[in-house]
Amino acid sequence: VRCQHCPPLRALQASAALRRASDEHKKEPWASSSQQHFDSPPAGPQPEQEPQGPRPSYTGQGGQESEDYESEEQLQHRILTAALEFVPEHGWTAEAIAEGAKTLGLSVAAAGMFHSDGSELVLHFVSECNTKLSKLLEKEQKLVQLGEAEKKPLDEFLRDAVEARLRMLIPYIEKWPQALSVLLLPRNIPSSLTLLTSMIDDIWHYAGDQSTDFNWYTRRAVLTGIYNTTELVMMQDSSPGFEDTWRFLENRVADAMTMSNTASQVQSTGEAVVQGLMGAAVTVSN
Amino acid sequence: VYQVFENVAKKYDVMNDSMTLGIHRVWKDILVHKMNPCPGTLLLDVAGGTGDIAFRFINYVRSVRQRQLQRKLKNHQNLSWQEIFESYQKDKFNSLGDSQVVVCDINREMLKVGKQKAQHLGYSEGLSWVLGNAEELPFDDDKFDVYTIAFGIRNVTRIDLALQEAYRVLKPGGRFLCLEFSHVSNPLLSRLYDLYSFQVIPVLGEVIAGDWRSYQYLVESIRQFPPQEELKAMIEDAGFFKVDYENLNFGIVAIHSGFKL
Repeated sequence: VRCQHCPPLRALQASAALRRASDEHKKEPWASSSQQHFDSPPAGPQPEQEPQGPRPSYTGQGGQESEDYESEEQLQHRILTAALEFVPEHGWTAEAIAEGAKTLGLSVAAAGMFHSDGSELVLHFVSECNTKLSKLLEKEQKLVQLGEAEKKPLDEFLRDAVEARLRMLIPYIEKWPQALSVLLLPRNIPSSLTLLTSMIDDIWHYAGDQSTDFNWYTRRAVLTGIYNTTELVMMQDSSPGFEDTWRFLENRVADAMTMSNTASQVQSTGEAVVQGLMGAAVTVSN
Repeated sequence: VYQVFENVAKKYDVMNDSMTLGIHRVWKDILVHKMNPCPGTLLLDVAGGTGDIAFRFINYVRSVRQRQLQRKLKNHQNLSWQEIFESYQKDKFNSLGDSQVVVCDINREMLKVGKQKAQHLGYSEGLSWVLGNAEELPFDDDKFDVYTIAFGIRNVTRIDLALQEAYRVLKPGGRFLCLEFSHVSNPLLSRLYDLYSFQVIPVLGEVIAGDWRSYQYLVESIRQFPPQEELKAMIEDAGFFKVDYENLNFGIVAIHSGFKL
């Protein structure tokens, strides 16, 4: 029999839950990577999934904690992770989410918590991949710092980072075009764009880029271009072990290296030209 | 309540159409779309008397199942004829994919009308009709995937009990969906709506069903019913999470949804 006089108790639990939930938030996986260097904070996977009511605790009104505290978001996280297993068969859809929920012992109706187009599943996967990449790069950096590995030259570093990230797509490569189209839905573009830019920032950060001048934008744009085009090539690639894709990647990175040299030349030339024009304008006005 | 619906049962569908100018069909369609059931779902439709939600659910699941089978066949292009034949046989007798609806209503007359409609429209498998009270459901705990109550919860005397029962019979992860008349916040629309409700509907009730009083009761019960936020709080009190509501037609009708997590 449920206690009908529990609202005040529930409010207490709710505020405690709120505090715990906000702490939980701070311990999100990518807090490990240095976020202070990013201009924009990495997007949370489901910003629109915030519960509207008071954050209810898992203990229910009885107050007995029979299981560990788990917020709704963590549960959603678990469902989406479980759902990834079913993506090769069902695609990035609510069906995959339903199957995932089933493996956790929940009803298939739990998939109703998410959008019926599978957006959250794709975004979740992308952010998980980014986290994995961060951890990988951090590990490599530690090895370099400890002197156990050599610091890679820039082009090799970029190449390896992009390759590592793209390799994470391989198990889902058949349904990846569907995922890309979901990421491009107007509703998802803010989140997917933020995820992409934070991943690129991450790579540049571990590449040793600390500058914040004009070149930072170009570097970001260049690497984004390399990543996106390589991803598209990978969709169409049927060579063994995706060797065509890696070769394409190598060429693009090499292009970028030469371009950066010419770019700085162009820039200095451009500055000189501008100065000349300014001088001419001043002369003319006099 | 029982007598109101005894009178109303036979003309229920006709009255619905005329009162809401047929829009109630759209509302119910939206409810099932929001549910987005996949084959294998067990639905409990409470106060579902004439079976509107149940039939829509079956249609939806059937079409999803069709698409699933088509996709499976496409992926099985390399199978031998024998294997294709076998898999086709197996799936042919499973057009609903094991989905089931249990329609529960407190009123025998409504259930009778529902059964007749089902027979008339050709719905045979996956349907059960059970007599029961929403405040005390004759089912075990943790049984159903989805619990719906469309235009029924305002007729329940103790809404909190009904919500608790809903929580009880749902599986973990199960979903509670409630479609009901609700509060219109837009002042202009609210005035028009009031006018329509109090002047037109009872008259329609008299003309079509020969029963002024029942429809007067109906309109008054709509006004008495708690508004969206209050109902949401009540649903949360019953233990549901991720409780949310969606207004249809500016709040004339609202769909509340909650999960048992």
